[in-house]
Amino acid sequence: MTAHMDNSLMKVRRGRLKRARSWRALLAIFVFILAAGFALTLMLGQSFTPLQEVLRVLLGENVPGASFTVGQLRLPRALLCILAGCCFGLGGVAFQIMLRNPLASPDIIGVSGGASAAAVFAIVVLQMDGVAVSIFSVFVGLGVALLVYGFSYRNGVAGTRLILIGIGVSAMIESFIAYILARAPSWDLQEAMRWLTGSVNSAQLSQALPVLIALLVFGGILLCRARDLEALRLGDDTAAALGVRVGVTRITVIVCAVGMIAVATAVTGPIAFVAFLSGPIAARIIGSNGSLLIPSALVGACLVLVGDYIGQFLLPSRYPVGVVTGALGAPYLIYLIVRVNRNGGSL
Amino acid sequence: MTAAHSLVVEDLSAGYGERTILDDLDLSFAAGRITSIVGANGCGKSTLLRTLARLLAPSAGQVLLDGKSVHRSPTRVLARTLGLLPQSPVAPEGITVADLVSRGRHPHHGLISRWNSHDDAAIAKALEVTQTTDLADREVDALSGGQRQRVWIAMALAQETDILLLDEPTTFLDVSHQVEVLDLLTDLNHQRGITVVMVLHDLNLAARYSDQLVAMTGGKLYAHGEPNSILNEEMIQSVFGLRSQVIPDPISSKPMMLPIGRHRLASER
Ligand SMILES: Nc1ncnc2c1ncn2[C@@H]1O[C@H](COP(=O)(O)OP(=O)(O)O)[C@@H](O)[C@H]1O
Ligand SMILES: [Mg+2]
Repeated sequence: MTAHMDNSLMKVRRGRLKRARSWRALLAIFVFILAAGFALTLMLGQSFTPLQEVLRVLLGENVPGASFTVGQLRLPRALLCILAGCCFGLGGVAFQIMLRNPLASPDIIGVSGGASAAAVFAIVVLQMDGVAVSIFSVFVGLGVALLVYGFSYRNGVAGTRLILIGIGVSAMIESFIAYILARAPSWDLQEAMRWLTGSVNSAQLSQALPVLIALLVFGGILLCRARDLEALRLGDDTAAALGVRVGVTRITVIVCAVGMIAVATAVTGPIAFVAFLSGPIAARIIGSNGSLLIPSALVGACLVLVGDYIGQFLLPSRYPVGVVTGALGAPYLIYLIVRVNRNGGSL
Repeated sequence: MTAAHSLVVEDLSAGYGERTILDDLDLSFAAGRITSIVGANGCGKSTLLRTLARLLAPSAGQVLLDGKSVHRSPTRVLARTLGLLPQSPVAPEGITVADLVSRGRHPHHGLISRWNSHDDAAIAKALEVTQTTDLADREVDALSGGQRQRVWIAMALAQETDILLLDEPTTFLDVSHQVEVLDLLTDLNHQRGITVVMVLHDLNLAARYSDQLVAMTGGKLYAHGEPNSILNEEMIQSVFGLRSQVIPDPISSKPMMLPIGRHRLASER
């Protein structure tokens, strides 16, 4: 028995250390890819800027030519891509884990749409700008989330019911956005695309700040609650039996995830499918090795950064990032619907 | 050996929304013993277990663990004393056995506490007693029903609670696996003094493996006591609406119930 026991103990410990090591190694790879992508988008564009010049600009030196293209154009854009991508990825996977279904992502069930509609309405009709727009978006996003949640509540929330109601609400919201855009006279196509699919065109450093704060505050709270959130994957009853306060955890996750997604959406628009795609991609790569939260945030950042680069430079004409991520996400959505139809899948 | 805890239900009523399921129950579960709850489908057995584990709030009365109301204790603290294996637990897609079992350690960790060697030891022990060590790296989805049930029990054991509530731990298992699970629970009860409260459908196994039976009907307590004193033809008739003959089980000398239906009776021919 004791020999057996020692053997089991060794196996358990070795397994745990191995999983932790794999998780850290995979995380390091994500960080490396993101850092490389960040550096490349600063160097490459209409013209090429060598790495040294990019670094000098980042250190605050005045480099003729490069200071404008890198400091004013590329840097704000890349930073906004990364921050918004983190918000979408983290907020999205939190919803997917909490509701145990990849289709329950905020961009499928109308939360992102609601935040984006709020932002258009605030800007076009109420003539608001800056932080006021963000705050307004957060509240409307929360309102939509609670509405969908409330509509689908009948002795507990059933995932499928929530998703169907969310898709319906989402469709209504999108037609509302289209209606406002159609009524706004001086609206160019670029701007309109931002509210329909998401875009980081004409990004400024000042726009990145609220997104950074939302990411730090809401993301920080989410990470502190990561263990409780992970326990919810075992089902509400098992989680509760393990000492998780299910209701409190749910509300915290909803507020934080919606908060960061709404703030990012108020700046970039609802960059299509990033919230929806990041979690499943991270899950594929991380597997059973550990938490999906940080990896999903990094995947989201990579998706937006790379998607924006492709949209700007690699396609025959320029497209906003949301068009590229939308084209990536649509096939996956179809695949999931087919699969869920067959056997009711989870994340 | 574990500490003996008292688990008492006082004037308990509970239900879903407007609908009352449990109706004014008074019960005291014997510490360090195995108690099985029996009753017809839908009579409120799962509801009772869920209320004991404070997954459901009572509409009246209370559940007292060592004299304190479970619905007013901090849930994480409570989860170190009282564990529950729900009726049909769901394993996340792709989760490995070791990972699932390690989730049982959740109530022992706070916001910042780190994984320690005691956690490893608890998991190793849980795998060992349920004989699932060899499955540790396998995916839970890919296991047979019996293996999966043992893995879930391992998760509940890793929680290291003195009281274990199990909702139909043997359903969907073939007869040899049913006996295996019940033997395992008996070992735990004998070796560690764990109080076991479970819902069982097989009356004969319940009578054989339990120190106490709780018979429920329509959300009310019908009888509570040792199998020998409460399991009889009258109880079967009242609780299940079934005619039967109760004889001594030649293996365990506990009572054994033989149902009497409308057909296939020896007198029929
Ligand atoms: N989540 C729920 N919402 C509403 N009613 C429920 C719920 N769960 C169980 N019930 C009802 O409560 C009654 C008792 O159920 P349950 O305790 O599961 O019975 P048992 O476990 O004895 O078969 C049943 O009539 C059932 O329909
Ligand atoms: Mg039941």
